[in-house]
This record gives sequence, C-alpha cells and structure tokens, in this order.
Amino acid sequence: MSAVLLIEDDDRIRLSLAMALEDEGYQTHAVATAEEGLEMQRRQPADTVLVDLMLPGMDGFECIRQLRRTDDVPIVVVSARDDTHDIVAGLEAGADDYVVKPVAVKELAARLRALRRRGRAAASATPAVTVLTFGDLEIRPEAGEVRLHGEAVAVTRTEFRLLCELAEHPGQVLSRQQLLSRVWEYEIGDERLVDVHVGRLRHKIEDSAGKPKHLVTVRGLGYKLQP
Amino acid sequence: MRRAGLRTRVSAAFAVGALALSAGVTFVSYELISNTLFRERERAAVRATYFDAAAINGGLGGSSPDVGELLQSLDIGADRYVLLQRQGQWYSRSAGPAASNAVPQPLQEMAASGEAGAQRIRRDGEAALVVAVPVQGAGVFYEIVSLGELERTLQLLALVLTAVAIMVSAGGAAVGWYVTRHALRPLAAVAEAASGIAEGDFDTRLDPDAEPDLARLTSSFNHMADELSRRLQRDRRFAADVSHELRSPLQTLAAAVSVLNRRRDSLDERSAAAVGLIADEVARFQALVDDLLELARSDQPAHLEQADIGLLVGRVLSSRNLPADLMRTEPGTPVDWHVDRRRVEQALGNLLDNAVRYGGGPVAVRVGPGFLEVDDAGPGVPDEARATIFDRFVRGPAANARGGGDGTGLGLSIVAEHAAAHGGKASLTDRPGGGARFRIDLPMR
Repeated sequence: MSAVLLIEDDDRIRLSLAMALEDEGYQTHAVATAEEGLEMQRRQPADTVLVDLMLPGMDGFECIRQLRRTDDVPIVVVSARDDTHDIVAGLEAGADDYVVKPVAVKELAARLRALRRRGRAAASATPAVTVLTFGDLEIRPEAGEVRLHGEAVAVTRTEFRLLCELAEHPGQVLSRQQLLSRVWEYEIGDERLVDVHVGRLRHKIEDSAGKPKHLVTVRGLGYKLQP
Repeated sequence: MRRAGLRTRVSAAFAVGALALSAGVTFVSYELISNTLFRERERAAVRATYFDAAAINGGLGGSSPDVGELLQSLDIGADRYVLLQRQGQWYSRSAGPAASNAVPQPLQEMAASGEAGAQRIRRDGEAALVVAVPVQGAGVFYEIVSLGELERTLQLLALVLTAVAIMVSAGGAAVGWYVTRHALRPLAAVAEAASGIAEGDFDTRLDPDAEPDLARLTSSFNHMADELSRRLQRDRRFAADVSHELRSPLQTLAAAVSVLNRRRDSLDERSAAAVGLIADEVARFQALVDDLLELARSDQPAHLEQADIGLLVGRVLSSRNLPADLMRTEPGTPVDWHVDRRRVEQALGNLLDNAVRYGGGPVAVRVGPGFLEVDDAGPGVPDEARATIFDRFVRGPAANARGGGDGTGLGLSIVAEHAAAHGGKASLTDRPGGGARFRIDLPMR
C-alpha cells in the first residue's frame, strides 16, 4: 500500500481527506503544519506529498523547497488559491502538480496514480542499457540518471519523465499539450505546468538557464531537446 | 443636427468678436475723419468766399462796374466755381448760366434776404458746397466748391478700413483656432489615459505638473482612476476571499461525502438515498462555485495565443468521453486560431455538457472560419426562451422539465462571456432537421 503525506492545517479538511484517501487505498499520514510534515517525511517517507499553501508558521512554498532539498518525492499542491501567481510560485518551489480545492476525491486519486506511474517508470532500476546523448548531456531512461559534463544531476521524477519524453524524440518539437498528456496524463490541463517544469529543468541541465542550448523553446509550437 | 465642435465654436466667437470690434473702430474713425475733413473744407471754402466777396464788393463800389471782368479777376482754382446774382441777372466767369441751376432755391431766398449761408449739394454726381454771401446792390455772390476730391479720398479710406476689418476678423478666427488647439492639447492626454483605463490598464495616471491650469481635471481624473482601481482590487480580493472561504468547507464536504458514498451499501435505504442526494448536491455546489468565480473573472481580457483548433476540439471531445468523429471541419477553416485556449475549451465544453444534459446529446461539432457550432438531437429551444437562454441562472424549458436539472444555470452565460471576451458572441438557431444549434463566433485576427 502506498503512503501519502497530507499537510493541511484545516482540521476538517485534513480529517475528511485522510478518510477519503484511505478509502482509495492510500495509507495517509496527516499533519497540520509544515514542520510536522518535514519531520514525518524524514521518519516515515511517503510516496507522495499533498500540501496546502497557506499554513501556520512555515508556509507551503517553503515546505516544498525544504522537501525538495533532499527528496524527489512527487508533491501535489492542494490549495483554495487559484490565481496564477500562487500556482506558478508553488510549481517553481518544486511541486509536480497543482489542484484547486474543492477537488473531487476520484480526481485527486487519479492525479496520484498518474504521479506514481511516472515515479515507477523512473524508478524501475534495471541495468542501464540505453544512453541518450545530447552533446554534454546524457540521459539513461532505465537507470533514471541524468548527467551533465559527466556529472550526475538531481532531477525530480516529473522532471525526469519530461526530459525522457523530449529525449525520446530528439530534435522533434513537442507541444505543451502533448507533454501535458504524456507526462501528466491531462487531457485538458494547465500549460503552465509544462512551462514551469521546463524552467526548472533548464536550471539543472543548461550551463545558462537564460540561454538554453539543449532544451529550447520553439515559439508558438512547444519545446524540443537538441545536442 | 450635430453641434459644431468646441474649436469651431470658439473660432467663430473669436471671429465675430474681432469683426464687431474692428467694425466699431472703423465706423467711428471713418465718421470722425470724414466729419473733420468736411468741416475743415467747408470752413476753408466759406473763408475763401468771404474773401472773394469782399473783392467783388470793392469792385461793385465803382461806377459802372464790369461784373464779368470782376469775376475774371478772382483767383480761384479748378475746383471752385463763382457766380454772381445781381438784379435778377446771373453772372459767371464762363458763359453758360447752367451753374446757377445748381444753387438751391432756399439758399437763394435766404441770401436775397441779406443773410449769408452755405449748403451742401450734389452736382454732376459729385458732392459740392454752395456758399452764398450778399454783396452791394442787392446782389449775392455764390461760390460752388467741388468736394469730389475729398469724397474720393473718403471712399478710399472706407475701402481700406473695410479691408482691415475683414482681415482682423479672419485673424481673430485664426487666433481662436490656434488658441483652442493649444488649450485642447492637454485634453488629448486625458482622452488617451481614459481609453487606457477602459482597456484595463488601471495604472494609467496623468502627470499633475504637466498643465497647471488643468490641475483640477488632472487631480479629479487621477482620483477617479485611484478609486476605480481600489474598487477593482477590493472586488478581486472579495472574490478571492469568497473563493477561499467557500472552497475550504466544500473540500471537507466533497471528501466526507465520498467516504459516505462508498458505504452506501451498508446504510439503510433512506440514509443511502439521503447520502446520494448530498453527494449530487455537493457536486453541483462545487460546479456552481467554479462557475460563479469564472463569471466574476470573465471581464478580464482574453489571453490570446495561437492554438490548433482541431486539436483543441478533439481534446474537449475526448475529455467528455465523446467520439472524435463528431467534429466536422468546414472547407477554408484555418488550422491555427488566435484564441484564449482555456476559455474556448471551457465554452465548447459547456455547450457539449448542455447538449448532453438537455439536448439528447451532441450530433455534430462544426468548425468553420471564425465559428464553432454544437448541434444536438433534442427538441430545440422554443422562441420565447431564446432571448434569455444566455442569461445567468436562466434554465431553458428542457432543464426545468428535469426538476431544476443538475447544471448550475451558468454554463451558457459563461459561454457568452467567453465569446464576448474574444470580441465575438454566442447565439442559438435551429439545426436543419430538428434540434438546437449553439454557435460561438470568434473573430479571426
């Protein structure tokens, strides 16, 4: 049974969501503050983290950043705030996905399943046979490894999935919608997910994120990966 | 009739004012000058006549004077004409007594009674002055002085003064035009700022130091803009607060009801039915909150970007689990549209949901140049319901027949708002062969 860490300060939401998630087959660790959540994740790492943005003490953004320092666990923001600023800030802090309250439990479960599939695809550690090379950038899909100038780069599972998707179509432009449906399994989704993740990836795999050499934007069409 | 523009009116007022002023000045000065000149000329003529009369008197004093000789001896210029009437006889320097006709009768009578006088007459189409001075022996000496030269001078003066008056009023109009252009120039900045605000740029302000004379306008304008953006911010904050305060309890409800719903089988029949009702209503409430917030934000400008319309329609169909072959593309439809992708997706999705709920399901989604149409298999919408079907919380007869339906009553008004945000509109017609045809027009750029 996979475990979910739920960080939510509203007691009623925490209680009801925990029950509903348990019904969906998740073991739920529910806590009320970011500090407790970080502590809980250190002691008993969950497979997925659900985090609210407005928390007493440390806020959700900082919590995500702290988690990301040591962990590539999929993080989903569950917030009542739906303005662009919050969504982008949450994703930039390192979240993999964003849902706005009230989210139907079935929908949330579907999101979690999609994230886990991504996680598993990356984590299935069979001996590395394939190496996709883009100049000084190396991607080993089976091993879940990315190397820049021969040095390992730490990417989250979603970032890795996005990178693999682009790497499997070298030099080919993939639209934001294609990436959304292949990486996040969204039929209709928020293209900002793709843009923010591309931005995060560039900070890791480009020598200069402002002037990307590998992961380039093709105006009006989408993104492509090139040597 | 349209009122003339401010500039035209001000220029006309300037012209009329200048004309009145210059005409007044011209008239007064003409009168003064002509009076003075005439009086001057008359005085000179009278003086000359007395002088000549004295000479005649002296001549007449002798025995048997030769009147013709006497008149000849007078030193007169070209514009003077002398006459002597003596014992009913007219004498003049030249032959031809015609000149005596010019002397008016009253003057003759007055002079005959021994009184000197002068009178202005017209002679040969020219102004002239007749001066009469009685002389010895019951005679009267007349001098007729032509004033033609003076008259011509005054005519020229009048012409010059009229020309000046016309030029001054034309100058007044030009000054008015020029002055108003300068006066109105700061208003152009106001107009620009106002249209900026109308287009949603609420940071537009006028520089209060730019035009000290318009300080009040500038400060009221800036105050209005401040107030407007404050209100807008307050509304937005309110919408955000409402959103947050409604969404949080709804999340609890949604999660709790899903827990209950899972256990419906272990509940007794009545409880299970009640849980079913709650679950449906929570879902509807959730949709209602989303739709209300969408409407609250619908006045924001569309975020236009390039989108492949075929892919967009395909995604919406697949998100509703509808077959992709419902889409019919008209010939001549461009592939890439310049639209707010999210809003067009939502508008089309709402039309499809509407067709599924009330129209017996969609039978076609037609994509043409600048429009999307959703045809359904329902009974169509009666005429009396059409005018209001895009209004908020208005449900068509089909929805009412379903006991209030499971929709929010906002779906079609969101469609209309999204179409309007693109500068287009939503409309409803009959599908040939029965059923309703909802259409969204999105102007192509």
